[in-house]
Amino acid sequence: MERKKIFLITQSLLCALVAGLLAGIALYLYFEGAAKQAGGDLFYYSFTREKAGRALLIVLPVFAVSLGLTIAGLVLGIRDENADKPVRDPHGMRDAGALREKAVHQKATSKVITLRVAVLVLAAALIVAGILNGGLEDVLAKGAAICTECIGLG
Amino acid sequence: MDKKRFRPGTRRLVQLYAALLYNANLKGYIDGHIYTGNLKSVCVPGFNCYSCPGAIASCPLGSLQNALNAAGHTAPWYVLGILALFGVILGRTICGWICPLGLIQELLHKIPTPKIRKGRVTRILSYLKYVFLAVFVIAIPVWFGVGKDVILPAFCKFICPAGTLEGAVGYLQHPANSTSFFQLGAVFTNKWVIMCVIGLACVFCYRTFCRFICPLGAIYGFFNRFAVTGVKVNPDRCNGCGLCVSKCQMDIRHVGDHECISCGKCIDTCAQGAISLKCGKITLKGPEIGKNADPEPVVRKRKQAGRIAWGIAIAALVFAVAWFNFIEPAISKADVPAAAVTETQPPETTSAPEATAVPETPAAPEETAEPETTTAPVTDTSSLTVGSEVGNLLPDFTTDLLNGETFRLSDHRGQVVIINFWGTTCAPCVAELPYYEQLKVAYPDVEILAIHNRAGAKKAKDFLADKGWDHLDFALDSKEKGLLPLLNAADAMPQTIILDRQGVVTYNAQAPLTYEKLETLYKNALAH
Repeated sequence: MERKKIFLITQSLLCALVAGLLAGIALYLYFEGAAKQAGGDLFYYSFTREKAGRALLIVLPVFAVSLGLTIAGLVLGIRDENADKPVRDPHGMRDAGALREKAVHQKATSKVITLRVAVLVLAAALIVAGILNGGLEDVLAKGAAICTECIGLG
Repeated sequence: MDKKRFRPGTRRLVQLYAALLYNANLKGYIDGHIYTGNLKSVCVPGFNCYSCPGAIASCPLGSLQNALNAAGHTAPWYVLGILALFGVILGRTICGWICPLGLIQELLHKIPTPKIRKGRVTRILSYLKYVFLAVFVIAIPVWFGVGKDVILPAFCKFICPAGTLEGAVGYLQHPANSTSFFQLGAVFTNKWVIMCVIGLACVFCYRTFCRFICPLGAIYGFFNRFAVTGVKVNPDRCNGCGLCVSKCQMDIRHVGDHECISCGKCIDTCAQGAISLKCGKITLKGPEIGKNADPEPVVRKRKQAGRIAWGIAIAALVFAVAWFNFIEPAISKADVPAAAVTETQPPETTSAPEATAVPETPAAPEETAEPETTTAPVTDTSSLTVGSEVGNLLPDFTTDLLNGETFRLSDHRGQVVIINFWGTTCAPCVAELPYYEQLKVAYPDVEILAIHNRAGAKKAKDFLADKGWDHLDFALDSKEKGLLPLLNAADAMPQTIILDRQGVVTYNAQAPLTYEKLETLYKNALAH
């Protein structure tokens, strides 16, 4: 096998290992904590800062090797050459006429311009209506405090 | 070495610029607090979690879910209007140029590994994002919000990798937010695993999230065909060779369709010079090589205009960074309004409470079953540090209650006092309040004060009207009262502080409590 291919496959495995470790450790901590809580330990927390720190220390060496290989690969210009090759007839339906037709349709005709103006006016009207009905304050209320659901805390 | 290979293109620089501008509140990463100023009432066009410590404005998708969730009370006109405005002006150019999550995905794809190319399967998968939009962004929030009055931004809660990466990691990395780790459970584990899977997929497959999952991209895709800005094809020059489509990494059927993110790679690909990136009639990027290349003076003029635009943009960024980090009035988070502190406050042995930045439980929680019992019984509290950490004496304060009475902390010496910080937009907060009511009914001697966050406090009274939590004392925070800064409450809710009968903090954590935990903590404080 060529060296380049070995490099790319090694890097793939390292990336998969980093992701797998990160996901696996989280799952382990969660299930370990859940078991302890189910056993009656009300104040046993699955995740703590200390546990997260220790878990990251396990991932760090693999991540460092992967990062090193990435930098080396970028500097040496090692990449999957196939990635840039055109995909032939990607959807099995394109022909020259159809593509040109789409281009004609896309041109800023008066119909398109009318539609743009209509949507712009509608958007402005909706924003004004939203400001008047308190929608703006609702956005602020959600954004100005941590959204615990949004970030996976709650 | 090919130096050109390492030189970032204009699009990459614009992506970096947008990411920095969206997250101009750089000090948020240093002090662990999010930006809470009025600009948070505006959404940015791209995907950027509003709970990220750096974020200066709100996430359009999170805001949309929240608005749809609350559609039973307030029609979601504002967020729909904002999305329509962004859509008609920029379309999916937002995805290609000014979305921080798009930037992260593209950087991950730079990692040298074998790559998965587009094909029929990826094309089919690209329709999946409409399912995510319909189910997680629209159906579930509307169903639970309007039908059951339950806060459930489903995409944010169960999937969004931006929330996990920018919000959770950004927030939890700061030591001041250590107790927020206690909230992490099944929801976080699920989201963390999803983030790892999506991140890994992005390494092998170009913009996996953007192409197959992103509901925001799906929304902007509806506007793409008539958006003012985007990649346009000149039909007089196009010979229909299809090279633009076959070289594009997105699952487009033709340039400018709902999958096109207007990245502009096809402009250089087209040998006919038929493609250009336009904003109305202004050409932002046109063909510069080939038989139909734009004339030299036109290209020169465009580059000159580009340099001027960059100058203005950099000046705006410098201003934004200066404003959000040093000038903006909302940064006075730690300012404690003197009016909130009563005259009977005990002598302080250390600095003001704002200096005690870390509300913590007393010991490493994994090693202790009852984290609230480490402080020794105290009879003389005058020697204690005033603050909000466990073992501190909580500063005295006075506040008006919603029932018209006045709450003064020092009046409750001799009672266990529980102070809960909550908000109507916080699902875990609303879920745990019935437990406090239950506790108060079971143990009438406990004093429970629930303080609503200043954001959205106006609506709290209406919200509480039909809840039947009549045994609890409710107060609203405001900028003038400054209760949360005084008590050193964090940005994340819910947070609970429990005081023993002498006013000493026995528990302080940003975590939702079950009734069993609450009862245990109460009994421990009582026995203190």
